[in-house]
Amino acid sequence: MDGKVAIAGYNISPCSSNMVTSRERLLFDLTTGLFEELGIDRDAVDTFIIATNDFLDGRTISNVFLDPPIGAYMKDETKVEMDAVNAIAYGWMRILTGQYDTALIVSLGLCGHQISPYLHIDYTLDATYDRQLKLLNELSAAALQAGSYLGKYGYPAELLDEIAAKDLGNAALDPYQARRLDGISAEEVGKSRYLYEPLRELHCYPPTDGGCVMLLASEDRAGELTDKPVWILGMGRSIDKYYIGDRDLAVSPSTTQAAKVAYDMAGIKDPAGEVDLAEISSIFAHQEPLLAEALGLFEEGKAVDIYSSGDSAIDGRLPVNPSGGALGAHPICSTGLIRMAEAARQLRGEAEGNQVKKAGVAVAHGQDGMCAQQNAVVVLGI
Amino acid sequence: MMRNVGIIGVGYTPIFVSKRKDVSIPEMISEAVDAGFRNTGLTPEDIDAVIFGNMQTFEGVNLPHLWAVEHIRALGKPVMRIATGGTTGMSAFHAGYYHVASGMADVVMVVTYEKHSEGDAQVGLMGIITPEVMTMLQAGIDVTGGSGMGAIGGGSAGGISFQAMSYLNHSGASIEHIDAMAAMERRNAAKNPYAHLKDPECTAEKIAETAMVSYPIRFGHICPTTDGSTVCILASEEKAAELADKVAWVWSVANCCSDATTGNLVDGMITDPAEQRPCMIAARQAYERAGIEDPKTEFDVIEIYNGFAHQTLMFLEKLGVCEVGEAHKLLEAGELEIEGRLPTNASGGVVSTNSIGTSALNRVTEAALQIMGKAEGGHQVPKDVHKALAHSWGGLMQYVAVTVLGDTPPRK
Repeated sequence: MDGKVAIAGYNISPCSSNMVTSRERLLFDLTTGLFEELGIDRDAVDTFIIATNDFLDGRTISNVFLDPPIGAYMKDETKVEMDAVNAIAYGWMRILTGQYDTALIVSLGLCGHQISPYLHIDYTLDATYDRQLKLLNELSAAALQAGSYLGKYGYPAELLDEIAAKDLGNAALDPYQARRLDGISAEEVGKSRYLYEPLRELHCYPPTDGGCVMLLASEDRAGELTDKPVWILGMGRSIDKYYIGDRDLAVSPSTTQAAKVAYDMAGIKDPAGEVDLAEISSIFAHQEPLLAEALGLFEEGKAVDIYSSGDSAIDGRLPVNPSGGALGAHPICSTGLIRMAEAARQLRGEAEGNQVKKAGVAVAHGQDGMCAQQNAVVVLGI
Repeated sequence: MMRNVGIIGVGYTPIFVSKRKDVSIPEMISEAVDAGFRNTGLTPEDIDAVIFGNMQTFEGVNLPHLWAVEHIRALGKPVMRIATGGTTGMSAFHAGYYHVASGMADVVMVVTYEKHSEGDAQVGLMGIITPEVMTMLQAGIDVTGGSGMGAIGGGSAGGISFQAMSYLNHSGASIEHIDAMAAMERRNAAKNPYAHLKDPECTAEKIAETAMVSYPIRFGHICPTTDGSTVCILASEEKAAELADKVAWVWSVANCCSDATTGNLVDGMITDPAEQRPCMIAARQAYERAGIEDPKTEFDVIEIYNGFAHQTLMFLEKLGVCEVGEAHKLLEAGELEIEGRLPTNASGGVVSTNSIGTSALNRVTEAALQIMGKAEGGHQVPKDVHKALAHSWGGLMQYVAVTVLGDTPPRK
């Protein structure tokens, strides 16, 4: 890999379940906020990459009306219709060619108002069979995955309460999270209603409105824009099979593949030893240890010990989702980018109440599809 | 740093037609993917990354690459989904280009499709503007002018008729020139095995007999809704030398968008959907990057994205390959024909074949096949093709992507 690319700046919206705004207003505020912080205007941005989803936005070619508010008019703009970590991958590649010096990655997910936040996954289903049968939806598939994961190692269902309590406790400290349940205990999580056994409401992501923008810059340009650059050290992306019945849901081979590519690029040989913190898009509680295992951060079969010992807590040996992760907010398409921004916030030592002790190398993760079918992994460093 | 990137192979579904009832969406895509492998002798193991594009609201399948992952042979590989409207195919191609140019992949497969028969394109297109109109109505804003008319006019034809009228007024072309343009493309399509609406005997008079849909747009000026899939395989210079006998090199790519409120009143002036500043900006940038000094003389083949026949003429002018007001004269002089000086849409263009996700990519693949000398069925132009220009528009008539191809690598 020739050349280095840095995160020059980012702006996360405070997320909520019922944001009183429009898509245009939200992105205008986020973009102008970032420009103000960096002391630049839209002329400093060479290329724009939007990550939104037409289904979630309820409109066709959903980037069309976003070009003016983000300052992209009469400039170069394209859309990656996936989690925004993939848009980061595209911006990163564009800068690596030397043709562009800066790329603004823009994402939003206004998912709090929907009748069912799970609907967009229903529409990813095989239209000729799975969708007609109506057995599978995002929740029922996640419950199958949770059961499969718990069953593989004989974990008790209460493990999910521990995971969620840890994440929600962290989320209560984070200024950007939507679900704020200060001091919630695992016992209280275990009393929330079942959405689909074994998953309870507080094991699942809340329907969320929110967005995030991030400016990537080449090495030379980053030096001019910020004195706290966070470097992209490695990036990997991969995808699993579609049919649930074809997959072993207790593992995530695509995350493992993506992580291997990212770690190789970053020169990381022992992720559990070398990574200081991880921000993982685990939108259901069981996905956090499952994905952390796939990322090589947790030893397989040790999840009960890890969560009971506090190893993954903010002050633990390897903090996972010190921000509270996607159980605090999941504005679909933005979630992975928010994980990256939260990791950058840690690496820059600006995470205040969520700040971990040692933050030199971080891993961030984004996902798309049912049961995290598609995964993207980024390694960040200072 | 920037690496040279070449197109080493193309794959199409065997036919592009209105209704493929014999295959599901992933099955139809796999036909093009298989053709891509068959035409290049490559196997899925040779592919480092896959770019996927279509317009998901047209069939009602969200993120269809998830469902089609095994049909596009992408298991365990990076897959990037790109969607920008009509330009989707070319935007996906550009993403593939940057994968290879950046060194992050050596061989990339770009997969696009549309299966219009499983949905309704006009309903999908209405979804661009309807939410805006609802907001305007709630705010008490008059929707009888401006972009609201696009929706009230019905799908894309409503907005496009503004554009066509404005173009005719500025260029001096007449509605008969649009008829003649459409007729030429239907005749070209008859020579392209992968085109949809074919008529080897089509004439301007025949097009003029079709119904007026929204003045000056006649039924015969409008693209069909097509089922089809297209695959394009890109490789680095090193890999291209190893894997391919003929290569069409990517000299440059560029795109530009403008404010989507085309047709609205701004400062007392109606912004004009025929103005197409993004096209002029994207073309200028693409020519700079490719070292094209005189776009009027350097291109041997041109492929224009023309959902409506007047757009072939309009975009030839906006791309600077002829003067404003000159395109219809080139048409009259026969210069745009397959045998002419400036063969334009030898493939039959989008007006003859429009499976939207593929349409912008087909402009690139058709230009590439002309450079490789591999255009089938009699639409290969009868001369050596050294440089070719591919154009596409999308969004709400305000988004343009351009690709310049050549028969030699762009950089030593």
